[in-house]
Amino acid sequence: MSDLVDAQLVPPATVVLVSGGSRGLGLAIVTDLLGRGLKVAAFARTVTPELEKLAAEHPDRVHVGSVDVTDQQASQAFVKEVEQRLGPIDGIVNNAAVGQDSLHVHTSTDGIARIIETNLTAPLQLTRFVVRRMFAKGLKGRIVNITSICAQRGFPGLVAYSATKGGMDAATRSLARELGGRVLANAVAPGFFASEMSAVLGQTQLDQIVRRTPTGHLTEPEEVVPVVRMLLCEQTNINGQVIVVDGAASI
Amino acid sequence: MNQLTRSQIRDLMEQVLKNQGKVLPDDDAADLREIGFRSLDFSELALRVEDETGEELNFDAPGLRRIATVGDVLDFLLQLQQQ
Ligand SMILES: NC(=O)c1ccc[n+]([C@@H]2O[C@H](COP(=O)([O-])OP(=O)(O)OC[C@H]3O[C@@H](n4cnc5c(N)ncnc54)[C@H](OP(=O)(O)O)[C@@H]3O)[C@@H](O)[C@H]2O)c1
Repeated sequence: MSDLVDAQLVPPATVVLVSGGSRGLGLAIVTDLLGRGLKVAAFARTVTPELEKLAAEHPDRVHVGSVDVTDQQASQAFVKEVEQRLGPIDGIVNNAAVGQDSLHVHTSTDGIARIIETNLTAPLQLTRFVVRRMFAKGLKGRIVNITSICAQRGFPGLVAYSATKGGMDAATRSLARELGGRVLANAVAPGFFASEMSAVLGQTQLDQIVRRTPTGHLTEPEEVVPVVRMLLCEQTNINGQVIVVDGAASI
Repeated sequence: MNQLTRSQIRDLMEQVLKNQGKVLPDDDAADLREIGFRSLDFSELALRVEDETGEELNFDAPGLRRIATVGDVLDFLLQLQQQ
């Protein structure tokens, strides 16, 4: 590549903040990035023994904390702690989210507000804060939003959840435009995978999803992780995209 | 809190089915699939109960998936009212 292009490139992320890194996909992402030598900060409302263990194993490269993503003050304080311990953040994975399994008409209005606050408002606010810090330091960076196939396909019982994921997909595209190539913004939209969030699905529903999936199995977190890593670490010119990882279940 | 009795809920369930030209059997063990009572019919019934009592009955879908008989519907709604 020419020197001019080189100067415009967004380098691989080196210090990555993963929200909801205590279990499920978030924990898998944290584990993978650490395995690749990156510095990783992760938070959730409850820090699990698995996350504690990673922190103990890599004391110089991990910072963990108990933070509610909807608490802006706490989230921002955590970001500053991370900068002090690991250095400036140049990658963020918005992974923390709450699920839903209730028909829209029978979901309380408080419940709808909580889903939107956790899955849409909070990641937008956290992204805003992290990008402000990047810009203030003249840094380039990468954003990966974990959304869902629900943003593109309809599923009963997931109305508010789907709306938040669709909102994040839309925000990803506008962020990519607005950040003018200084920050690459992409989303990864997994199909259903086994986790605490999807534990509410009945066996009949899981069997149905598998039957409709050409690759014949539910997506595994381990199949999503390489895509997240690529978006954080590889030189690809992918920007403003939503990458679906669902074995073509939705095609 | 104003609560409906089991028989009042049964009457409402009968109305929901009657509007669709269907009949509610007397037997509580009757299978919902056989009488054609679907999940959105359950929603309608729950909302009719709400209308009568003036209290919202919100619930998650897994509870709904366990419902298989007329008796299950009545038990579930009685239980919801008590929450
Ligand atoms: N599972 C699926 O089938 C599926 C499919 C498509 C997309 N996704 C998406 O994949 C991502 C990960 O999902 P998962 O299945 O791994 O879920 P999960 O096992 O329920 O994990 C969710 C993570 O987010 C954290 N979290 C939730 N609310 C939070 C809050 N208010 N503040 C801080 N952290 C919070 C949780 O920790 P605490 O509860 O301790 O806070 C946990 O670490 C989510 O964005 C989800 O929407 C999941």
